[in-house]
Amino acid sequence: MAWKEFKNELNGNRVEGELIKTFLYSIIISLLSFFTFYFVVDGNGLYEFLGKYGQSIFLTAISYGLIVCSIRQVRAYKEMPCMSGMMVGMTTGMIAGFLPGFYVATNNGMFIGSVFGMFIGIGVGIWNGKCSGIMGIMEGIMAGFMGGLMGAMTAFMLINDHLLASSIIVLIISAVILIGLNFMIYNEMKETKRQRYEDHFLTIIVTFILMMITMWLIVVGPRGGLFT
Amino acid sequence: MKNKSGNTKALFWIFVILIISGWFVFSSADGRAKNIPDSSRSLGELQKITLSTQNYNYYPNIIKVKSNQPVEITLDESVRGCLRAFTIKDFGVSQVSSNPSEKITFTPTKKGTFKFACSMGMAYGTIIVE
Repeated sequence: MAWKEFKNELNGNRVEGELIKTFLYSIIISLLSFFTFYFVVDGNGLYEFLGKYGQSIFLTAISYGLIVCSIRQVRAYKEMPCMSGMMVGMTTGMIAGFLPGFYVATNNGMFIGSVFGMFIGIGVGIWNGKCSGIMGIMEGIMAGFMGGLMGAMTAFMLINDHLLASSIIVLIISAVILIGLNFMIYNEMKETKRQRYEDHFLTIIVTFILMMITMWLIVVGPRGGLFT
Repeated sequence: MKNKSGNTKALFWIFVILIISGWFVFSSADGRAKNIPDSSRSLGELQKITLSTQNYNYYPNIIKVKSNQPVEITLDESVRGCLRAFTIKDFGVSQVSSNPSEKITFTPTKKGTFKFACSMGMAYGTIIVE
């Protein structure tokens, strides 16, 4: 019955009721940053630009949409018990490392992909994991480190073997994991009062910064030997 | 539950945005390069083939050779990293060519269609022996 309660709460007045809108705002900001970036940096031909980089950027935008939802939910509760916080740090660190690492490595090679994936994964892992103190932070660092490397490595090894299909499959699985995390947080914290009320400014800023960095890397960033 | 109609609208817009932008993105994607066959040219007895890379794979990735005549494969400057470790399992070829002057030579002794690949199997192509 807890799942049913969670589904109802997605339309409720707790933080869970704001997650769908958070995702929508993130996707809109991603699209706007895509066009801003295209007109400022590239501008040679939208069709060609989309053909070359569109798939990776589109899938990255959906990933960031899912990640900022979990950031918003965790921030609303501010503090969590150790076990839940470790799970939060591990899951968000791992997915935030894996997906950007995967999509950047698709275009830039394993080194750039893994460094970027680790950077984002560790950053998000620490940010979310700190809700339970040092244990969550440690878990976030370790998971971000592992996820970044794994995402880039997986993409690199799949370059000549159904890369697009794999990209979609890993995104779907990651989405299921992150929705599972949203459910777990709700389940653990439903008796607790929300600690922090925020508007969507953070969602907008985080999405915009992440998208701009990712697009810059994918389009004009350094590339490994196989990708030059 | 005051939020319900707002979230239904948000879900609707998420669906619309993802469908439209996804359609644009995936319909404009350029496919991976396919092959241009018959890249070999006979030079007397020795069949010389030069492979380069395009779209992170060997190019051309279908090559045709004649059986029982030696083949010399050159990996040009565009071939980098692990793609320089070249293998054809069916003919026992497994060689690292550090630069284009290091040629890969072998003689195909059986007719048919076989695979060539880098040592990790990430880049690959087909060799047709006639």
